[in-house]
Amino acid sequence: MPEQPRAALPGAAFVERYVEADGFRIRYLEAGQGQPLVWLHGAGGVRFSRAQDLLAERYRVIVFEAPGFGHSPANERSASIRDLARTMAQATTALGLERYNLLGHSFGGRLALWLAIQAPERIQALVLAAPAAILPEDHVRPVTPPESQAQLLYAHPERQPPLPRPAPAVLAKQEALVRRLRGPNRDPELEDKLGSLDVPVLVLFGTRDAMIPPEMGRIYREKLPNCHYILVYDAGHALDADRPEAFVSVVGDFLERHESFVVSQANALINP
Amino acid sequence: MKAAVFSPSPYHGPAPRGTWPVPTDAFSAELAQQSLATSLDNFQLADELGFDWVSVAEHHFAPMSLTPNPMIMAGALTQRVRRARVALLGATIPILNPVRVAEEFAMLDNLTGGRIVAGMLRGTSNEYVTYNINPAESWERFEEALELIVKAWTEPQPFGWQGRYYEYRTISIWPKPAQLPHPPIYVSGSSPESGELAARHRLHVGFAFTTVPIAREAARRFRQQANAYGWEPTPDHVLYRVTAHVAETDEQAYEDLYAAGAAERRPAFSTSNRAVDDAAAGAGYYGRDQATQRARLETHALDQRVALGQILLGSPETVLDRVRWIRDEVGAGIIELIFQPLPQGKTRRAIELFGTQVLPRLREL
Repeated sequence: MPEQPRAALPGAAFVERYVEADGFRIRYLEAGQGQPLVWLHGAGGVRFSRAQDLLAERYRVIVFEAPGFGHSPANERSASIRDLARTMAQATTALGLERYNLLGHSFGGRLALWLAIQAPERIQALVLAAPAAILPEDHVRPVTPPESQAQLLYAHPERQPPLPRPAPAVLAKQEALVRRLRGPNRDPELEDKLGSLDVPVLVLFGTRDAMIPPEMGRIYREKLPNCHYILVYDAGHALDADRPEAFVSVVGDFLERHESFVVSQANALINP
Repeated sequence: MKAAVFSPSPYHGPAPRGTWPVPTDAFSAELAQQSLATSLDNFQLADELGFDWVSVAEHHFAPMSLTPNPMIMAGALTQRVRRARVALLGATIPILNPVRVAEEFAMLDNLTGGRIVAGMLRGTSNEYVTYNINPAESWERFEEALELIVKAWTEPQPFGWQGRYYEYRTISIWPKPAQLPHPPIYVSGSSPESGELAARHRLHVGFAFTTVPIAREAARRFRQQANAYGWEPTPDHVLYRVTAHVAETDEQAYEDLYAAGAAERRPAFSTSNRAVDDAAAGAGYYGRDQATQRARLETHALDQRVALGQILLGSPETVLDRVRWIRDEVGAGIIELIFQPLPQGKTRRAIELFGTQVLPRLREL
């Protein structure tokens, strides 16, 4: 595949703002207009790809930086991921979002699932991108934060633009927080609640995810009453970065039409 | 060592040669039905004689094959061939619907009680014209379709696929294949690209439309690449396809061929439309080793064909000797035979001679 020249780095059009919620000063980055789409990052902190830029053409994309990530002070207060979910819900309220679309990647997918479980009436649609909510029993998080290893994150690291690497102190702070909050590989408390989650859900995994086996997607499909499981070919764990156009195409269609998105609306007419 | 009987189910009747696509103004349904019946009878005979496989393939728009859809022929064979494996070598993947291909293989696998061999090929260059697919997309379509087909065979929950060339929202094929994890997959091993793909995905390889020297080198390269990926191919991982005619004596075998006019040089099927082949080649169809890949398809005089291992011709003893040579040179564990179509029951006789006098001795190899 030929390299595509980029005019600016991913996320360049996003404007940085802050909101007070639950005693935290929460940083977020925002671009686009229309229906709100809240994006929750993975364990490596806020990561921009072309996918958010493309989604910002159709949605008001709000990329939160959860307390304790990036340059925010260490978060000693959130006791569990359920706690953090309640905090993030308050942040969305503080922004005036009554109902919104929600997308979570990896650790952010687990967080997003808890937000949906806690207040499903506020979630229009839920997108779980390589979610870390259901992991193999024997899954072990590597000692080096995997989000700092390009080979583990991407199927095609050579195609990624050079993004600024977080400082070692930031990585260490984030890693400690993630380890405290992430919970067990299989959480019966979480999984028992899935059967009654009345929200349209899309679960996506890259076929070349080297961090979470893409087959885990089938468990969400099995347990959730309104869930579709899509494999993104030749994408790794950061599937939005490996294949942004493909990711946005299917996510965008799902956000528009929810479960009706299984019915093609493509125009195959060659000539009238 | 194993032996298979392959036939493209040719049309036995007058038809134009040296052109593609071939006009059908001279087509006779009666002759086509006789040809297909002969083909089915020969496959059944092979089954009764103890051949390990019977094989069919996919070619379009020419009398050289009356099975443009090998799945349908394999479907007929599920009822006629009760013991041997039924191999499709292969389905031309990039021009087909991968979900449909997955479903068809799974149906066949259940109809045979788990005897299907799933060959997945890119096809000859002209095949892309058949369904108006761009041959420049051949490799990418092939790799993606292969992964999608295996997923469709093995994923227990409905899933969608967001690929480069294939997009599906929800797939859940019924039936699933009978064999676990799925039927054995054979791909061509001839080009560097296909050998590498086979090594990477731990697939079996077949060599057809080639020569022993070219196949020997390609097989060596495949094994080397497999080792690099951490595994060791067995002889069963390598198949070699060759034309064959067996008679009581060497002299008789040669005479049979000359008498039928089968000894003369003929234009190859896929290259008989030079414009199509050149256009496909220009689109990168033959990969980075274009010279060798196109050289495979050159036609030769009979003596050359024998020397290069493109035809086994002679008495059972001579043929056994040549099979042993192919086994040694290429490391093939499966010899796949195209019995030369000849009149007066000679083809049937050749299958019988091989089945009774060569096949038992192959088991010792």
